[in-house]
Amino acid sequence: MTAHTTIPTPQMQRSRGEAAVRLRQDGGRVRLVDLRQQDSAKAILPRVGAVPEVVFLNTSGGLTGGDRLSYSLHLGDGVRAIATTQTAERAYRAASGTARVEVALGVGAGGWLDWLPQETILFDAASLDRTTRIDLAPDAGCLALEAVVLGRHAMGETVHHLAFRDRREIRRNGALLHLEPLVLETAALAAGQAVLGGARCFASLVMLAPGLGDALAPLRRVLDEPGVQAAASAYDGRLVLRAMAQDGWPLRRQIARALSVLRRGAVLPRVWQYQENGR
Amino acid sequence: MTADALMTLVQWLSPAFPTGGFAYSHGMEQVIADGGIRSAADLEAWLADVLRFGAGRQDAILLAASLQPGADHAALATLSRAVQPSAERLRETTEQGEAFARTVAALTGQAALSAPLPVAFGAAAAGLGLPAAQVIALYLHAFASNLVSAAVRFVPLGQTEGQAALAALHPLIASLAETASTLGPDALESAALGADLAAMRHETLDVRIFKT
Repeated sequence: MTAHTTIPTPQMQRSRGEAAVRLRQDGGRVRLVDLRQQDSAKAILPRVGAVPEVVFLNTSGGLTGGDRLSYSLHLGDGVRAIATTQTAERAYRAASGTARVEVALGVGAGGWLDWLPQETILFDAASLDRTTRIDLAPDAGCLALEAVVLGRHAMGETVHHLAFRDRREIRRNGALLHLEPLVLETAALAAGQAVLGGARCFASLVMLAPGLGDALAPLRRVLDEPGVQAAASAYDGRLVLRAMAQDGWPLRRQIARALSVLRRGAVLPRVWQYQENGR
Repeated sequence: MTADALMTLVQWLSPAFPTGGFAYSHGMEQVIADGGIRSAADLEAWLADVLRFGAGRQDAILLAASLQPGADHAALATLSRAVQPSAERLRETTEQGEAFARTVAALTGQAALSAPLPVAFGAAAAGLGLPAAQVIALYLHAFASNLVSAAVRFVPLGQTEGQAALAALHPLIASLAETASTLGPDALESAALGADLAAMRHETLDVRIFKT
């Protein structure tokens, strides 16, 4: 018996959710100019100050076949903000259909966004299609993370079947700069070391801004977390970090250490501060 | 005329053509250094995964799109750059594309598009009038063949073992080429996370023979 046949999934109804946030710089302060929340998607703004934090939340408790979830955040000129998710996003076994998630992030001139969602946990036989699109103004920058965990390790679950499409597109002034069209399906799970090679979780971090080469050496110095294989590269106005691990916890610690270097020690969103989420 | 076109294609993909493929290992040098490829079977598995889930499939799709009449090669070059996962992988595809285009231009006396290799190759090969699946299959074969000869020298493996691994990949290459010839650039995808990470780790490998 596999785990998914013995453990009931908390939510199997199709859900819809849309949360959209717009922030604008207004006389030295950042103001919330638009907040739309529909159905199962919420956006929480625990602090709206110099560097506001936006926390997206899917109240349906997870995703399954046929679900639709959309998050969007637009930062006006000069706005610097951090956005994250309240919990790890779970994609449950899909009896039929695919869950679709759209994330649209815009950063205005001179702005900066740290998009630091918590990890996505894919249950065996999950079917998830997610697109994250980031649009940067000519001199805007961003730091964007994606972390994925295959199966619930604490329950000894191994993922054998999967339909996971996770596309990340970053554009500057409308021109495509960075594309990660990850498609991880059943056949790929069974492939060798060029694909996962026994890893059960992985992360990709990308930073786009001018003059990033300087951050490469200090970033590489912290890529030594035991149980994690990680590497960084700087090219073409991008700084990328990829990491793979057997277990979610060391991966999370490695990400936190890398973020600390890239964000020059800035405090991580509270949800990221060493909780043992998603294990 | 088909024999003439085929000879041109084979010449462009030959290791003697100064595209310089021998200098790039696509991250495989790191895997060999880690002890991840020790036998012809390891090599075949690595190459099969890179072809099927990684740059093989991606280049096949970019090449297919670049062979199309009226292809927007500038947009395809942008796409090809955007999808590269690391500095060395970007270098591998752009330097080879430039060297290839430079040689074709010198031979034909006509301007050739300088772009990442599959795009530059597709732009040049479009005029040959050969079936797309055939061009793609031979392109992927040259990519795999180059890595086989690197592995034969540095794993090391016997020449015949290396060629047997390459021959065993022929059905996969033919089927990938057939599929890619029907797909558009929206079908670009990758699952080769391990190959990408190896290429990134290669940047800090102590002793390096290959540029990638």
